[in-house]
Amino acid sequence: MSYTAESELVVDNTSTAERLASAVVGLGLVTFVFSLVGVTQVVTAETTILGISLYDFLAGGLLLMGVGTVSLGIGSRTGVFNTSPDATPGAVTAALFGLGAFALAGLVASQSLGLGTVGWLLGATLVGGVTFAGVALAPEDIGSTLPPGVAAIGVAVAILAGIITPAFAWEPEGFSATLTGSMAIPLLLAASTLVTMWGGAKAYEGYGSKGRQTAAYLLVGINAVSIIAVLVALLLFIASKGIGPAFEGFSLVPFEWPFVTNGYSFRPEVVNGVFPAIMGTIWLVIGAVITGVPVAVAAAIFLTEYAEQGRFVGAVEIATNGLWSTPSVVYGLFGYAFLIPRLGGTTSLISGMLVLGFMLMPLCLITSREAIKAVPDEYRDASAALGVSRWETIRSVVLPAAMPGILTGVILGVGRIAGETAPILLVMAGGLRDDAPNVLGSFEFISSPPFVANDALLESAPALPYQLYATITAGVSAENAAAFGWATAFVLLVVVLSFYALGIASRLYFRRRLNA
Amino acid sequence: MTDTSSLGANAPTDTTVAENADRPQTTDRHEDTPDSWTDYAFEGEPKLSVDGLDVHYGSDQALDDISIEIPEQSVTALIGPSGCGKSTFLRCLNRMNDRIRAAEVDGTVTFEGQDIYQDGLDLVELRKRVGMVFQAPNPFPKSIRDNIAYGPRKHGTVQTDLLAKLTGRDDSDQEDEIVERSLRQAAIWEEVNDRLDDNALGLSGGQQQRLCIARCLAVDPEVILMDEPASALDPIATAKIEDLIEELAEEYTVVIVTHNMQQAARISDQTAVFLTGGRLVEYGETDQVFENPKSQRVEDYITGKFG
Repeated sequence: MSYTAESELVVDNTSTAERLASAVVGLGLVTFVFSLVGVTQVVTAETTILGISLYDFLAGGLLLMGVGTVSLGIGSRTGVFNTSPDATPGAVTAALFGLGAFALAGLVASQSLGLGTVGWLLGATLVGGVTFAGVALAPEDIGSTLPPGVAAIGVAVAILAGIITPAFAWEPEGFSATLTGSMAIPLLLAASTLVTMWGGAKAYEGYGSKGRQTAAYLLVGINAVSIIAVLVALLLFIASKGIGPAFEGFSLVPFEWPFVTNGYSFRPEVVNGVFPAIMGTIWLVIGAVITGVPVAVAAAIFLTEYAEQGRFVGAVEIATNGLWSTPSVVYGLFGYAFLIPRLGGTTSLISGMLVLGFMLMPLCLITSREAIKAVPDEYRDASAALGVSRWETIRSVVLPAAMPGILTGVILGVGRIAGETAPILLVMAGGLRDDAPNVLGSFEFISSPPFVANDALLESAPALPYQLYATITAGVSAENAAAFGWATAFVLLVVVLSFYALGIASRLYFRRRLNA
Repeated sequence: MTDTSSLGANAPTDTTVAENADRPQTTDRHEDTPDSWTDYAFEGEPKLSVDGLDVHYGSDQALDDISIEIPEQSVTALIGPSGCGKSTFLRCLNRMNDRIRAAEVDGTVTFEGQDIYQDGLDLVELRKRVGMVFQAPNPFPKSIRDNIAYGPRKHGTVQTDLLAKLTGRDDSDQEDEIVERSLRQAAIWEEVNDRLDDNALGLSGGQQQRLCIARCLAVDPEVILMDEPASALDPIATAKIEDLIEELAEEYTVVIVTHNMQQAARISDQTAVFLTGGRLVEYGETDQVFENPKSQRVEDYITGKFG
């Protein structure tokens, strides 16, 4: 140890401290992952390994981590490990640890010890304050390892000793939610592991700026992975619930997939399906893209290439951002009150297309503007120097170069509108149907203006998100409503992801054309 | 292929611009800078002639009363320290300064006797005939062929789109000729003729710059303006560009801005020296300017005493 300015240029890379710290972090990663899985209740306290409850296993791991972290801190302070800590862990660390200690102490005092309001408040403030002061005054190695280590040991002991069990239930007064032990244990484990890993990561690099860098890297990295974990958990959850009912009666040869190819027939002997809703959603997206994207791209071209930055452009920018944050149900209400009376008086596919097209516009406008702005001015200069007019330049150079960015906006926008329920509810949806909207087959040529008629566009049509809402919550009578709903959700997810895949594929195509 | 039509819709014979009326009459402006020799007499008609050119960016004066005549089929180098207005001057010659809103141009620039700042000037025609090559290579993110054919296609010189093919007016052969001729002129044909459909961004920096020169040649210009065309390139690529410029001068009028005085001395026929404040201090035959400059300040600059 030496927390004075003495530090070495070359540090021995295989010290005991490093091995111990890697063990703490490695154990922490495993414990953290299993705790998260525990939060999703995929594994529970009933899950056992070698006859021992999984939670006891995890708590054991946490206990080892706590002991390891404390040893790392003490070892560094007593000079057993060669480190170069700063004089203090910093005010932010102290404040956060103080807050954590306040919360933990408050919970222990009020729940385990059963102290009254005054009692737990006093105890929590005292513990929190002492922790804050202690961490603030301690050198970095002690301040950033002892508190998480001690907390980890405490949490682990509480779980192992059965103070917190899956049967534990906490119902805060005046708060109608119940935190059960089966949720509390993995949450506590996860939080405690995270903080202890942070301390371990700092110790791994011997504290100092290098230690803070590694610890921060670990924390932000775990966040990034957690986002992917949430996505995967959601997909798996929907799939696990929905795949069964969605594939009811499925056979490959001869190809039959009644849930996807049937309508909703209300006949008990036939598998009810979502084909009309799938077609409705697809037509809806096509219509919205046709309505929204060209207008948005054209406006983006005007605002970026022609209009001078000034009041007008500023006003349009504010309006666009406002439109983008307008709640979708407001769009729906606008369609309901404005479009429907002018388009046949009933809910209709075309009203849905138009409303969703309006919703798509602001996002496409914003992303297209950014994409067009990002096209290097050198291209415009080169084109102008060849005597090519501004519009020709935009058409042949700027737009192709901006295309991947524009498509990104369309992908994001389609992702939003394909799952939109509120406006559909107001302007487009009818009940469950047996027949899909036949848009292509309904085009008719007539002898008087407007010469083309399409009844399918003027009829109400189902869409997946609305159908999901209707079957799950609105009490539309359907047998096995829950199973039907999960299957619908699964299909909706697949349809939206297919739109994504389509968008990303076309973006890749355009990007490849731009790059060598 | 060259369109020899008038640049202006109704070009007046008198090339004085109305804007000149607003300009303060400071005929004796050079009294405070007697160290200025810009009268260079050469045989034949000037290709470009500039008279009393002032450029302001807002309140900053970028060019101060520049008058110069540039002979055809030769290389004219513009040299001077950074910020002396060489690039601004170059950009006035094909009105690329129009693209900078803050730029205010006063004075006359005549191209083959026609004022290019007059009303009714056809910018497309002007820039077709006065092409430009930029400091950093800026090929479009398209194939090599598309880069070269871009100008001719946009000007309708060749028609190779689907409609033209369907209606039997396909000019693909002619386009191939233009592409090959331009690339050969720019001395890059041998290097790229087997990969004309590859993306131009895959070429090296020097190749990209020669491609940009070829792209400029494809619209058949008469004047080529070059803004430090070799400053972003390594010495070998620079040497290739320099050889190319000397060859181009046999057919085209080349005006080149450069930071590199050796380069100017090597390749140019006449040299114009700009010094701080946007003033043209000396203009004359390159040998004379470099070996026996009339201006003390130019001598100081060339010998490295300042700048």
